[in-house]
Amino acid sequence: MKRQIPLFITFFVGTLLIFSVFIPPMETLGENFTLFFDIIAVFAFFLGAGNLVRVHVSKLRKRKADWGFSIVTLIGFGFMLFVGLLKIGNPGGIAADVTAPGSWFQEMFNYVINPLQSTMYALLAFFVASASYRAFRAKNREATILLMAAFVILLGRTPLGMMLTAWIPDSLSIFQIPNMAVWIMNSFNLAGQRAILIGISLGVVAMSLRLILGVERTYLGGDDSG
Amino acid sequence: MRSRSSISPGWTLLLVTTLLVCIVAAPTFGQMPDDGVITFEDTVQVMVAAPTSLIATDHKYDDGEKIDLQWVPSIDDLPGIGTVVGYRIYRQDDGGVAEVIANLPAKANHYRDENTELGHTYIYSVAALTDGAEFMSNLTESISPEREWIDFSKRYLFLIALLVGGAVIYFIEIARRGKKLFVRKIAGLEAVDDAVGRATEMGRPILFIPGIQDMDDVQTLAGLTILGRISKTIADYDTEIFMPVSRSLVMTAGREIIKSSYQTAGRPEKYSDNMVTYITDEQFGYVAAVDGIMVREKPATVFLLGAFFAESLILAETGNYIGAIQIAGTARPAQLPFFIAACDFTLIGEELFAASAYLSEDPKALGSLKGQDVGKAVAMVIIVVGVLAATMGQAWDISSMNSLVDILKTIFSTS
Amino acid sequence: MEHFAVWVAAFLTLGIVSFLYKDNPWYKLSEAIFVGISAGYWFVVLFWDNIYGKFWNGIFPEELIDSAGNVVTREPDYWLLVGAVLGTLMLLRLIPKIGWISRWPLAFIIGCTSGLYLINYFSSNMMRQVEATIMPLVGHWVLDPATSQNAFSAFSGADIFSNLVLVIGTFTGLVYFYFSKEHRGAFGGTAKVGIFFIMITFGASFGYTVMSRMSLLIGRADFLLFDWLGLVR
Repeated sequence: MKRQIPLFITFFVGTLLIFSVFIPPMETLGENFTLFFDIIAVFAFFLGAGNLVRVHVSKLRKRKADWGFSIVTLIGFGFMLFVGLLKIGNPGGIAADVTAPGSWFQEMFNYVINPLQSTMYALLAFFVASASYRAFRAKNREATILLMAAFVILLGRTPLGMMLTAWIPDSLSIFQIPNMAVWIMNSFNLAGQRAILIGISLGVVAMSLRLILGVERTYLGGDDSG
Repeated sequence: MRSRSSISPGWTLLLVTTLLVCIVAAPTFGQMPDDGVITFEDTVQVMVAAPTSLIATDHKYDDGEKIDLQWVPSIDDLPGIGTVVGYRIYRQDDGGVAEVIANLPAKANHYRDENTELGHTYIYSVAALTDGAEFMSNLTESISPEREWIDFSKRYLFLIALLVGGAVIYFIEIARRGKKLFVRKIAGLEAVDDAVGRATEMGRPILFIPGIQDMDDVQTLAGLTILGRISKTIADYDTEIFMPVSRSLVMTAGREIIKSSYQTAGRPEKYSDNMVTYITDEQFGYVAAVDGIMVREKPATVFLLGAFFAESLILAETGNYIGAIQIAGTARPAQLPFFIAACDFTLIGEELFAASAYLSEDPKALGSLKGQDVGKAVAMVIIVVGVLAATMGQAWDISSMNSLVDILKTIFSTS
Repeated sequence: MEHFAVWVAAFLTLGIVSFLYKDNPWYKLSEAIFVGISAGYWFVVLFWDNIYGKFWNGIFPEELIDSAGNVVTREPDYWLLVGAVLGTLMLLRLIPKIGWISRWPLAFIIGCTSGLYLINYFSSNMMRQVEATIMPLVGHWVLDPATSQNAFSAFSGADIFSNLVLVIGTFTGLVYFYFSKEHRGAFGGTAKVGIFFIMITFGASFGYTVMSRMSLLIGRADFLLFDWLGLVR
């Protein structure tokens, strides 16, 4: 029983949604189920938030390494719940939108979350540099091809690419770097993308069917347990 | 000096013109509401032609909630002149009063009413709007929306999906009956066992990142199904696993999967909920925390399997920096190059979805991979036949070839 | 107040950047703040959006005013209660004895995702891409406006080559992903050509992204130098 009901639910819901695409009176089913998902996700959020609090409180209690930072996390979390759920410091009061401009809640986003997000994102510039360096040193043929294509595209997007190959006569303009970059994007790149996309769609079909038919059921508690 | 009591010639002209406009325009108002929609301010109204040839048709293949309207815009709706500022759609529901249901910009020549109800009859009209007046089109015939039970416009999609899906099911069934099916080795997946073994030997943990999306992303499901296979080996070897997640539902599913693996391995007491922890839903907040975990816990092996966005490279490079063996996989083509540059093995697109079947060594799951190949074979054959037919048909103007191309394009068209 | 906020933002920005040197207390502090505040932020936003906005307003709908100015009363959508029931079942995990019931909502979600994606991906990725690849390689018939008659218009040499590359690349790429045959002999050779195309694809995407990442860094440097330190632009 413990295994059969979930297997049936997955089968039933999955099959229903596949056929709903072809049956107009059922066409909104997908949207409705997505709404259910949104609601379930918030309920699950209580479990996630509970876990967050439990992990940090236990770190604090056991005086594990860096327990001081757990206090910071807990205070930050608690503060956001307090000003967000009760809409404290919101100029429009409880009826206003929680993210109303000028509310404490939104100011925390603007001055704490936003700069942190942008900075993490900006770290990518350094990581791109180190990854490029590593790809350079790679000895295998695939990585070399990858890097050469990357180099042409990169140069093609900068004035340098134009300057380097401006001397090539117009009759051979295809060999000018900016033109080569466009050409690689529109032919080689597109071809690879298509093969990958077709492959992905078939992979999704097979995996979804494995889940719907119950061939894949690890999420239900393994093959043997019940 | 002008006397206040007399009417100036300018005002006289305005009054007369207004009166004329009223008289000329009045018949076109037909059954329009008398709630003052037509407002004449104290300026001269510009006359424009009304929209013509308005027709309403039932929208095909819907649940009876849509009616399509089409009309020829006012001939005065010309670029640069701007006398027609837009169109207003009126609807009478079951013979009631006409109500405005939409306002559209100039040049509009069609509208889809998506709020109709089965069993009701509707009559529509469209008005061309000027700065202060409306010029009404003909009324449509009364029309009732209809419900269709099957969407025949998607018949080819259904048939091709049935062919590929049927092939998957067929091969699962063939495998279930005990026929041995061959699947070639996939390098990234051959490395999974070694990667887990390495962590065991080094006595260091394994870090599993299932991407940053929720359970409503099929890539997350792929990552979790792979976790199902890996965690079995981990439970067998009794290696430490750590799985920080950015979604609460993924946390729940991850726990369920790892717990069951430990149960299967016969050591449920070794499982702990602390193996899977929720961090934050925020993309970069999650990344900041995972980066911290990587440098502090120094896992020997890192799995990055699921939906990744810009953070792919931050995670993969940090993993590289701490010297972990990294196996990554995603179906997002934009992130794959970063994984290829920074990880030891990368599962490209389709391989991510095939991975759990491959790792399971379950004949039925392997059978599904065969079914996938049927889909690829279909795609390859159609591409070759289609390209040859299109090339020959166009080069030598062979009509049979051109019709073959038309047929293929119709079958594979999704619009 | 704003001045203080800019200092906080700058402090946190530098804290994150310090990670590039090595893990340190400043980074740990920024990380702890980031995690705590952002987890709270998303919890609250999702609570108001989904529980209040979608669920509560769905069961007890408010009157709305549409674009034409009419008051629209909506019927309560009691189906949403199914979502709430499933959500509640999820919370049963907290009671170990009946925790297994929480697999039902999980099974529901997995069925949803599989069912929704199967046709979506198949239609947009498989069908559309195959259709787009069916094309003439050397030229096509077009209407000549001068004579009002169809005339054959040959593609340029470069276009013919591009078309060939596109078709061969897509075909060999699919051969690379083919699982049922070992990559040996002519088949293996074709698969090698396929991976060659795929690597160029990745290279192109890599090169394309590098530039945009650099501009992000410039954006942060801009904040530190001008907004925080107040250097004149």
